[in-house]
Amino acid sequence: MVLASVLGVFDISLDKLSNGELWLAQFFRGLSDGATYASVALALVMIYKSTGFINFAQGSLALLGVYLAYIFSVEQGLPVAVAVVCAMVASSAVAMFVERVFIRPFPPDHVLPLVIVTLGLLLIIDSAVGIVWGFRTRSLPSMFPSGAPIEWGIAQLTWRTIGNLGTVFAVVGLLYLLLSRTKIGLAFRAVSSNLESARLVGIRVGPTLGFGWALAASIGTLGGALVVPELLLEPSIMLRVLIFSLAAAALGGLDSLVGAVIGGLVVGLARNLLVTFLDLSELALATAVAVILVVLLVRPTGLFGSTRVERV
Amino acid sequence: MRAMGAVAAGSRQHRRRQIIGWVLFALVVALIPFLIAETYSPTIFGNRYTFGLGNLSQAIALMVAILGLNIATGYSGQLSLGHSFFVGSGAYLTAVLVNEFHWSYLSTLGVVVPGLFVFGVLFGIPALRIQGLYLGLLTFAVAAVFPSIIRLDEIKDRTGGSNGLLIESDLEPPTWAPLDTVTGWLHAIPGVGSRVPDGLTGRQEEAVYKYFLLVIVALVCFWLVRNILAGRVGRALVAIRDNQLGAAANGVNLAAYKTLSFGISAAVGGVAGTMLAMHSGFVGPDEFGFSMAILLIVGLIVGGAGTLHGAVVGGLAIQFVPVWSSQTQTLPGTDVALEGPYGTAILGGLLIAIIFALPGGAAQGFRRIKSQLMPVAPQPPTGSTG
Repeated sequence: MVLASVLGVFDISLDKLSNGELWLAQFFRGLSDGATYASVALALVMIYKSTGFINFAQGSLALLGVYLAYIFSVEQGLPVAVAVVCAMVASSAVAMFVERVFIRPFPPDHVLPLVIVTLGLLLIIDSAVGIVWGFRTRSLPSMFPSGAPIEWGIAQLTWRTIGNLGTVFAVVGLLYLLLSRTKIGLAFRAVSSNLESARLVGIRVGPTLGFGWALAASIGTLGGALVVPELLLEPSIMLRVLIFSLAAAALGGLDSLVGAVIGGLVVGLARNLLVTFLDLSELALATAVAVILVVLLVRPTGLFGSTRVERV
Repeated sequence: MRAMGAVAAGSRQHRRRQIIGWVLFALVVALIPFLIAETYSPTIFGNRYTFGLGNLSQAIALMVAILGLNIATGYSGQLSLGHSFFVGSGAYLTAVLVNEFHWSYLSTLGVVVPGLFVFGVLFGIPALRIQGLYLGLLTFAVAAVFPSIIRLDEIKDRTGGSNGLLIESDLEPPTWAPLDTVTGWLHAIPGVGSRVPDGLTGRQEEAVYKYFLLVIVALVCFWLVRNILAGRVGRALVAIRDNQLGAAANGVNLAAYKTLSFGISAAVGGVAGTMLAMHSGFVGPDEFGFSMAILLIVGLIVGGAGTLHGAVVGGLAIQFVPVWSSQTQTLPGTDVALEGPYGTAILGGLLIAIIFALPGGAAQGFRRIKSQLMPVAPQPPTGSTG
């Protein structure tokens, strides 16, 4: 009785709910979306870990990277995977430049001016992309073959979904190895743990942070290259992705790499399942906002984030 | 040890100087609409720029929006990247009340102000637990979600969905308003009078009337906010911004003042929304998306956070920089044709440049220039020796 009225309010049909294939189909779609959110969230987490602020221009850097990938693959005729790697290198160069010129002059312990600077960067990069490439939509081919190896009625586990998931797990694995097994990774962890002490023991803080920015930008570009084949490439595309990725990063805890991946997958699943079964296509973004709100209210450190001790 | 030409604070000369300043300001505000009623459009380096009354009116509405943001972010230090949500709510509330209940624009303020105050307080309650960067994160997402709320199927009939909503009421100047007569007088002034048109057409008269209406609403808003901030509330908010712990130790009720600041801030933002609806007679969902939220932050920082006249400069900046840069078709002195949204890029660059060079915004710059040109020596406190 109560259930029936709840279902009535949300206009849910029981047919839909008992349709196993639909569940599975949306589950796969959710995983695929989630993987893309996770990769941009990983980029956000990299910056947050090292500098303690959120880079609102992360989506814009990824946007720039994806346009570069488009140039390399469609206009220069490189294979897509090679083009994406070239774009990752190019966008990390841009990010290092941005970090050196716009971020490093500011004292690192004052977060708010830095956040405002990233907003300025967002405006500049987004409109620069619009000026250079215009607002016409384009399509970037996917790195992965089309088709689905596993089909179950309407539920298809496509190569793209598998590829997106595989890429994200590979990125996390590589990042883990990079941070825990290499010297620059050690330096990065030292800087993110305590900037002053890191400087005192002789780590060159500036270049290490620049490295973090470069790494984040290339991960973001990779994430963008995963998203874009599902949608069409145009200058405002990364904004929505950025919101979902912010939700993913907040859910996972802003400083946890594993958290970003799990957060991304959860947000992707939640978005697809809610939108399908509650029939609220306009509220896709609102699910992201709800996730952010609930996480920040109930557990500000997210699922896997470390607690920061503050003076009270 | 007084600088040359310095006057003592509170002295007669100082007061006279202040009065002259205000009179000049009032004269400019009152005369400008007549001067630019026929859009003033100079040609500089082969590009035709317009300085129109419509843009100026919109800038005035944006000033009030920045004023609202200033209360939450500039004065009490809570980073809000989502103020477009409040502005949009105010605009849509006005549009719906005018269209469906045939209210007049100004009377909708009676609903918009208390409604958004309550809404802002409700928003401020979760914001108590979420601070600094995290609040920025949340409000950023909230700003992006406003257009999709407007497009929701359940309320699409009311809000017009993606198409926006045309407001079915024109602001016609009342017959007693002597706009035409005043224009005639100004035109009759020898010399400068030739700049003023000889009489106004119906549309121009409407634009001038709207301008004065918006100026009056804006002046009332600035005056009220100034009074709120000059007293106990303002001191408490600034104390919270500068040192939360210290403020609490001195007996400032953090929770109450923070939610109050969000309430006032949202109410002022709602008034700005009403003003925008009044100005354009149209509301559309994407106008109030996250790009407006970021532009308001740009205006706040460029003008000067935590100052009232900063909001004025900021409103002018975020209105006129995009307009004028889109009118710059060719780069001065070259044949390079310019196309695309580089007005936004310029604003982004301006934002970063201001944070670099002048963290207090234009307001700080003015203060510096003023203290060089017209120094005022502070009066030593009297009567409190020992």
